[in-house]
Amino acid sequence: MLRIFSLLSLWLLLFPLQGFALEPSEKLLFEKNSLYQYIQVIEDTAKKERYVRNQKREFTQGGIYVNAPDKLLLEFTQMSFVSLAFLDRDPKAVLFVGLGAGAMPKYFARRYPDANIDIAEIDPDMLAVAQKYFYFKENEGMKVHVDDGRLFVKRTKKKYDWIILDAYQNDYIPFHLTTLEFLEEVRSKLKENGVVVANITSSFRNKFFDSMVMTYKKAFPHLAIFRGKTSGNFIFVATTGSIMKDKENVVVRARKIQSDRKFDVDLAEIASRHEDSLPYEWEGAKILTDDFAPVNLYQHQKSDAR
Amino acid sequence: MIRFVVFICGAVVMSFEILGSRVLAPNFGSSVFVWGSLISVFLTGLSAGYYLGGRLADKSPSSRKLSLIIIVPGLLLLTFPLYSGPLSDWIFMKDLGVRMSPLIASSALFLIPSVFLGIVSPYTAKLMICSLHTSGKTIGTLYALSTFGSIIGTLITSFYLITLAGVNALITGQGILLIILAIPLYFMNLSCSIDQTGPAA
Repeated sequence: MLRIFSLLSLWLLLFPLQGFALEPSEKLLFEKNSLYQYIQVIEDTAKKERYVRNQKREFTQGGIYVNAPDKLLLEFTQMSFVSLAFLDRDPKAVLFVGLGAGAMPKYFARRYPDANIDIAEIDPDMLAVAQKYFYFKENEGMKVHVDDGRLFVKRTKKKYDWIILDAYQNDYIPFHLTTLEFLEEVRSKLKENGVVVANITSSFRNKFFDSMVMTYKKAFPHLAIFRGKTSGNFIFVATTGSIMKDKENVVVRARKIQSDRKFDVDLAEIASRHEDSLPYEWEGAKILTDDFAPVNLYQHQKSDAR
Repeated sequence: MIRFVVFICGAVVMSFEILGSRVLAPNFGSSVFVWGSLISVFLTGLSAGYYLGGRLADKSPSSRKLSLIIIVPGLLLLTFPLYSGPLSDWIFMKDLGVRMSPLIASSALFLIPSVFLGIVSPYTAKLMICSLHTSGKTIGTLYALSTFGSIIGTLITSFYLITLAGVNALITGQGILLIILAIPLYFMNLSCSIDQTGPAA
């Protein structure tokens, strides 16, 4: 009996139900304790913005402008699109791991109507929220698979030009989506010269960030890093081909994509903030593997680098 | 000594369960089905162990037999890295569905060790009950120690051990711990006088 009680408390620790104090301008539109997380849809009536988040403001998973739902609100969603400039062609097959509010796939589909988009999202309630509150719609070319991202990648027979890794639970990435084995599985589902982009949050330089750099670097020959200006987000762009290694080339391509596809995001400016991964690499950081991946603990430990 | 054994076995059960979620995730994800499978398999193992342990305890219990009971999960955990990968991969390939895959994998990997760790509780209770007058106190103490061990095992594993070493190394370490525990038990020859004076068969 006692053991059952301790298991129950463990269960509750994993899936806490706790509300969150709102700002006066914020209105709660929806909340639910789903199978995987506490989901809250909030509208800021002053800023006219709508977000989906977990317990805290820092755990925002997605958002839109209420009056312009087709624009990209969050910085990491804007920055992620810079990775298109690392691709030597238009992406035809695309995989998103993690749906959030669905803002990125929606924005992408509008600009690349011929692309075939798969989205792996573990939480059916997140999909329902994206559809109900964030104008996300599936169609022939864009399909959501309610499945664990790792399992979807392992099982899919398809290969992709562009893979976007943005699966979060609260403020962390589930450990099995951070490991070298996972990244190697992702790489094996890339077409030749395909591109992987990942959203990595690190509000301060922590051990998790160091390990992510080294793990991506181990899995992919080329890694470029973009640092957020207004958020603690870093965008990792990992490629297998070196065609787009030249920074100038990336900026030129970003500018072309921006005008050809009518992006209202300044991709060229983001591309100009291109950083090589080298200054971020620190040999002392441990590579994360299926065997060793203390994601949560590393996020709270300061980096040992310098 | 017996109290210490109960504490450690309690700690190993929950530590193993926490690490079990890490073992399953690469092949079966971290869906609610994985957690459900994992927890229910451990509870199934423990309840079967409690039942069997109670029966075994009534047949001339000794610390030597207890040692053998603990050696089994000790060896299974010690060699865990050798079979967990291939077994998980094989079940993944079979693709029995989102519910059955993790349930079968959990059963294959965790059921037998948890049955044996479950046996420990009633078996040690019988060994310790030397006076019927204080049997309640003895059983209560053992329950508390076992669960306290589980708490410590859970906390240490999830707060510290996971940053110190890999999952496979930790499970192997637990196997070694159980074996180290079992060896002195084998030579201690602890048994209880109540067994000789107990009801005739």
